[in-house]
Amino acid sequence: MGRLARILATLGLLATFVLLALPTSPALAQLRTVELYAPRGFGHVIGDTLTLSADIALDAPFVLDPASLPPPRALNYWLDLHEVRLEDHGVSEGVHRYTLDLVYQTFYAPLEPRRLTIPAVALFAIEGERRVPVQVPAWSFLMSPLREIVATGPGPAMQLRPDIAPPLLPTAGLLRGLALALGVALLALLLLAWQMGWGPFGRRRARPFARAARAIPLTLATAPGDPILAASRYAHALQALHRAFDATDGKGVFAEDLPGFFERHAAFRAAEAEVRRLFAASRRAFFGADPAGAQRELPPDELVALARRLRAVERGTA
Amino acid sequence: MDLVRDPDSVLSDWHAHALRFEREIGKVVLGQERVIRLLTIATFARGHVLLEGDVGVGKTTLLRAMARAIGGAFERIEGTIDLMPGDLVYHAHLGEDGKPRIDPGPLLRQGEDLSIFFFNEINRARPQVHALLLRLMAERSVSAFNREYRFPHVQVFADRNRVEREETFELPAAARDRFLMEVQVVMPQADEARRSLVFDPRFHDVDTLLMDVESGVLDPEALGTVARAIQIGVQASPALEAYTLALWDAVRRPQALGLAIDGVDINRLVQGGASPRGMSYLIRAARVRAWMEGRDMVVPEDLRAVFPEVMAHRIFIDPVYEMRREPIVAALIAGVFERVPAP
Repeated sequence: MGRLARILATLGLLATFVLLALPTSPALAQLRTVELYAPRGFGHVIGDTLTLSADIALDAPFVLDPASLPPPRALNYWLDLHEVRLEDHGVSEGVHRYTLDLVYQTFYAPLEPRRLTIPAVALFAIEGERRVPVQVPAWSFLMSPLREIVATGPGPAMQLRPDIAPPLLPTAGLLRGLALALGVALLALLLLAWQMGWGPFGRRRARPFARAARAIPLTLATAPGDPILAASRYAHALQALHRAFDATDGKGVFAEDLPGFFERHAAFRAAEAEVRRLFAASRRAFFGADPAGAQRELPPDELVALARRLRAVERGTA
Repeated sequence: MDLVRDPDSVLSDWHAHALRFEREIGKVVLGQERVIRLLTIATFARGHVLLEGDVGVGKTTLLRAMARAIGGAFERIEGTIDLMPGDLVYHAHLGEDGKPRIDPGPLLRQGEDLSIFFFNEINRARPQVHALLLRLMAERSVSAFNREYRFPHVQVFADRNRVEREETFELPAAARDRFLMEVQVVMPQADEARRSLVFDPRFHDVDTLLMDVESGVLDPEALGTVARAIQIGVQASPALEAYTLALWDAVRRPQALGLAIDGVDINRLVQGGASPRGMSYLIRAARVRAWMEGRDMVVPEDLRAVFPEVMAHRIFIDPVYEMRREPIVAALIAGVFERVPAP
């Protein structure tokens, strides 16, 4: 209903303000029509913005002089011109059409309904040296007061209403995205730790070589001390690696089982020669009663390196 | 031959002999490399062997080939239900003069040099015969003609077919414990060997086939000395001793390992067995195997290689599971080797 009323009002105004260019008038020969579309003419209160829209039709080759457009400014103590928008629809059938939007804001504070007038706007159409005035007509409307003249309700006559709460920015999506990204990052970190055997993952069943590498002290190669203690440390390191082989294969792996082991766990083939030396060394150490020979076969520092290598092979980063 | 002073070169000479011995037997017995290796180990460990398997897989041929390759005196007897101990020791017959005579039987006929005594179908013989055999295996001696005969070099091979159960007598546990190994002979797996065995006319006549085996590759008189040299020369480290004891423990108490066998209550499976004699046999056989592999130390692989044959028949399991004995004991042994950490 409101929309229909507005259209009707606009049509009424249209009838009032349409100016027909008279062909006999040489000054207006180039101006076809100026049609003003305006909002309803009543019920406006202080602070309202009013958008006047004028359709201007000129005879080509006349164009509207952009310099004649009014700059946005305070027109007088109660009326501000906020915005001026000119839309050029181009030339069609010898007629150059424009739409000029003028946005006003009224600050008039009437005590009772009062008719006010937005003044006409004078523009020019130009063609070379020729200048033709184009008038966007004035428009009048009724402004209404916001409050009654004499207060009838209780309490102070006019109290400032509390400010409206500032509208909240829509952050739910952002928060969801953040949570998701954090989750993904955490998951990726866990996966990485799992893959690399960090922290508690170093102890998981599927990573026996990670456990073995942890059990073999880095100082195995460098630690000084009496040879018996060193031999026992060396034997422990060998044992740790053997347990890792057993756990990887799910059963005891002896030197004679190595071909089968490499068949089942092809990744370890990369270290085949060292592994064979490891088994030869542990044979000497454990069954040949020849720990010194074992350490010559596979020196402690190489044993440490091998443990690290096997751990890398195990996690697939060799 | 002075073994104390120079055992190494003697042992390496004999190592070559042993490998040749295996090759000779391998010429006539196809696809049984593992069995041949085990029998060689038994020979050098001076242990008696019980062969078990289906009919016609070549048990007898294998033993005849071994007897021929080892050389020395060889006797065989077929087990039957009416065979009595006397039949082994005495040979009763009517002499040319018509008088009854008692001569030495199969066991004594070759005198005290007997190196191989081959008892075919041992489970057809009666327990009385088993008892005699027990003494022969344990003490390498029998009493006959009011005196004791000693057979210092004798090695008993017996075979038993496991298909027939009628009119057979199960060997007493004590007799089985005397055997170093109980070897299962199965059909050759390789297609090539099977094809040859069926189509190659060479394998049709066992007697001519055995002529291919070079006779007397090993000197039976010296085997005992070599066997002792091997036992001295191949060392078992403390780590291996610990491992062996752990294995022993595990076989007797598999539940402690958390072993699970399909359809078996592991807590009541093993009733006993794995005697100390069995374990000492195991180490003996493992030492020989290490020597055969050219090592001077026993490693866990040696134990594993001979364990089923040496130990399986010494493990006594609950009678409920006796009918499925072979797969269950095989699973038990395999599980023990998988679980017990070495070294």
